[in-house]
Amino acid sequence: MATRVAFENTGEIGVFAALTNGYCLTGINRSENFYSVFEAELSAHIPVIHATVAGCRFVGRTTVGNRRGLLVPNTTTDQELAHLRNSLPDSVVVQRVEERLSALGNIVCCNDHVALVHPDIDRETEDVISDVLGVEVFRQIVGGQALVGSYCKFSNQGGMVHPRTTVEDIEELSSLLQVPLVAGTVNRGSDVLGGGLIVNDWASFVGLDTTSTEISVIENIFRLSGAGGGSGGQLGAQGQQSNIVTNMRSSLIDQLS
Amino acid sequence: MPVYNFKKMAPVPSASDFVDIVLTRTQRKTPTVVHPGYKITRIRSFYMRKIKFTQQTISDRLTAMLADFPRLSDIHPFYSDLCNTLYDRDHYKLALGQINTAKQLVDAVARDMIRMVKYGDSLYRCKCLKRAALGRMCTILKRQKASLSYLEEVRKHMSRLPALDPNTRTLLMCGLPNVGKSSFMNKITRANVDVQPYAFTTKSLFVGHTDYKYLRWQVIDTPGILDHSLEQRNTIEMQAITALAHLTCSVLYFMDISEQCGYTIEQQCNLFRSIQPLFANKQLVVVINKIDAQPWETLEADRKKLIEDLLEESGPNTTMLKMSNVSEEGVSQVKNEACEKLLAARVDSRVSGNKVDSVMNRLQVVYPTARDGVTRDAFIPESVKKEKELGAKKPKKSRKGYAPTVDDSDDEADDTPPESDDEMIGDDGVSTRKKTARELMWENGGPGVWAPDYREQYDLADPEWRFDAIPQILDGKNIADYVDPDIDDRLRLLEEEEDQLAAEYDAANMQRMDDDDSLDEMEKAQVSEIRDRVKIARAHKERPGGRNRPALPREIRGRVKDMHDSDAKLKASAIEKRMDKYGVDTGAMLERGRKRERDDPREIRRRKRDAEMEDAAPATNEDEEMEDGRGKSKGAIKRARKEREQSVKRASSQARSHSRPREPSQMGLKDDDMAKVAKKVEKQGQFRWHGGAGEGDHTKAVHLVKWMNTGKKRNGTHYCR
Repeated sequence: MATRVAFENTGEIGVFAALTNGYCLTGINRSENFYSVFEAELSAHIPVIHATVAGCRFVGRTTVGNRRGLLVPNTTTDQELAHLRNSLPDSVVVQRVEERLSALGNIVCCNDHVALVHPDIDRETEDVISDVLGVEVFRQIVGGQALVGSYCKFSNQGGMVHPRTTVEDIEELSSLLQVPLVAGTVNRGSDVLGGGLIVNDWASFVGLDTTSTEISVIENIFRLSGAGGGSGGQLGAQGQQSNIVTNMRSSLIDQLS
Repeated sequence: MPVYNFKKMAPVPSASDFVDIVLTRTQRKTPTVVHPGYKITRIRSFYMRKIKFTQQTISDRLTAMLADFPRLSDIHPFYSDLCNTLYDRDHYKLALGQINTAKQLVDAVARDMIRMVKYGDSLYRCKCLKRAALGRMCTILKRQKASLSYLEEVRKHMSRLPALDPNTRTLLMCGLPNVGKSSFMNKITRANVDVQPYAFTTKSLFVGHTDYKYLRWQVIDTPGILDHSLEQRNTIEMQAITALAHLTCSVLYFMDISEQCGYTIEQQCNLFRSIQPLFANKQLVVVINKIDAQPWETLEADRKKLIEDLLEESGPNTTMLKMSNVSEEGVSQVKNEACEKLLAARVDSRVSGNKVDSVMNRLQVVYPTARDGVTRDAFIPESVKKEKELGAKKPKKSRKGYAPTVDDSDDEADDTPPESDDEMIGDDGVSTRKKTARELMWENGGPGVWAPDYREQYDLADPEWRFDAIPQILDGKNIADYVDPDIDDRLRLLEEEEDQLAAEYDAANMQRMDDDDSLDEMEKAQVSEIRDRVKIARAHKERPGGRNRPALPREIRGRVKDMHDSDAKLKASAIEKRMDKYGVDTGAMLERGRKRERDDPREIRRRKRDAEMEDAAPATNEDEEMEDGRGKSKGAIKRARKEREQSVKRASSQARSHSRPREPSQMGLKDDDMAKVAKKVEKQGQFRWHGGAGEGDHTKAVHLVKWMNTGKKRNGTHYCR
């Protein structure tokens, strides 16, 4: 199930929260409304943590991670780093990265196995990403956008890319990432998927403006709806994703063109 | 795609209000004082301005009005026809045309009158011309009374038209009065249309919205249509006809087979035939309604035949569905079928064009081809899987439509109550669900008042460590710089080393204890007393209020006897007294000091000089005593003695030039270099900020600036004034 969330009246929730299969970070806010949405859904399974990076609450854009590790930019203070290390389980390695492009969430998009990165990042950063997160790293652009973290989003089960990505590019990306992909939008037509969509292998959160069609596409491609989850047979899961092609096709055509 | 919103039109004032508005505005916004003594050009322009302003105001308002009202030829044909039906196109156009004419007339009047004011030769005449001009303009406005009131009515009505989008996905219901259109509308939308058991309950178009397949569908309820020729139709029926004629939509033709509506099936079939031309290019669903009162199966054969013939005539695309609003049987089938048909048609039209290619990437899922043998599994915690399995057993909530139908509510009846949905009930029946931060926040004063302690969630080896205070900076050092992941190992090594050292120390101590035993009681007491006194001396030295200046080391200060130094009273008696206290024999000590003094060359010189003085003194003393009797004052005697002594000293001094004595501060210093070093060290010790004019104390004194205060000072000659 995808949950609609707003952060202080904005639908760009991916800016203020980061979610992986092992933990969830949310920005600090005067009110606990935003945090509690995640807490209610996730806290039974994974730690949901208040965090800041360099005193700023847009943790979703500044950090990147998966269940093995978390990378934070070099602007992170020692106290914030200590807070993260204390809050996260020992299995998660928290590492500070000396990268010029410090909004790591915008320049890196990853799941537990592969990562797409901005073509201009340092070689050292690339090494750190592959070591700490345990992923294969590919320098790629998505839909003509170098900010891969902003314009695409994928979990271990599926992914969504910028709506302007051509079918050939999607095929290439899909073979790199080894997950099924589709182009799509969130927040009533916004192409900034990293901003409007927070997803892991079993839960997802979308901006408050997201339409029901968009939610359906997201639930199908990330295999979120229905019982059993991704552990079920590959065939059943493919069936769920092909919903987009079969059941939703007419709605999508009518709405998009 | 233009969006039709007629709600924003400005109200149209009635003619008399219009006149009032215009004249008041002129009075308020133009000058009001004029005198006969003014220049005639000024008087003329005063009145011309009034006329011009009035004309401008009227013209502006009328133009705005003309712009507000939609031009029937420019809007969607549906709205154009609807306006024709409701307001009569001719009347509407005429009214707007008259307004336009009035505007032009006002302009012409103003032009003429201004021209005449130009020739006015007195204030009175100009004023009369202005009155005439304003009067004529107001008369023109008053003549538009009918048009203005008509337009106001039209505006009011238009602003209440339903917000109907002619281009979106639409379901349209039509049929004879009382066949169940509005009831169906209430079933599938939340429009809450009035439903009554008499004909023409619905007198205008109503719009509701429903969801189907992730899309929003517009549902239009139309007034009933009677079966007569187009010319005979009244305004209410014509609205339905207009909607049917111009909207691309899915049409639901309702038939009441129970004939409770007062029309026979035959009549309903006839109506269908007469409006059939309007169904061209539309998706048609014939809805057999009220099957609760008259089931289709028990319908008489000849009536059945009528309907079936009708369907055959209307072509293969027509579907027939049966439903009942009362039993809610078939309601959702009807809705789904109508939506599905329209959606299919819309998709077909788009696919046949080129529109789909641009969104093709969003319509197909690209599956990866395996590039290596690695399996990349999803990572879903066991707890999530377990919860999902539990969730799957729970009955699902209905997501159909807005208003629950009977089928849906059957589902919901099995549902657990909503509050207990997410809660896990413990064995004793008490809710064990943890309170969320949001609930805690509201319990404790709301946002901005309460914030959680983020440390509560720390995942540490010992939960008691969570709230330990850890400073950021300790002794001027950032603690984080010294955090070492291997600290435990190193600490263990250090502790081992420390234990070992402590053991060694203890062993050594034991030996010393043995040494101590060699002292006898007396000696021990002395040692302890010396130690105590050292302690006291230290404390005394360190006490506040003592000497607060740097202590210069002796080598810098110079080897003087330091009689002024309270710490070093080197008088033999003092030393003797002090040392006697400790029971130390001072004989050798004093002898050593004396010897040093005796051998000092300066001391030798001094002794020599003193001896000479002693030699000279007896003689002078005798003289003095002799003279004493002669009554000299004591002071004079003293002075004379001193002079004598001086002269002796001088005489006894070595024959060399009178060099200047060294300054006391440099006494004891070897040479100038050493003196410099001493000076420097002293200064370093004494440096202190004394306050005074630094950069921040900079002030600029007020003083006379020559260029500002000389030269011409009359008005206008100086830029400062």
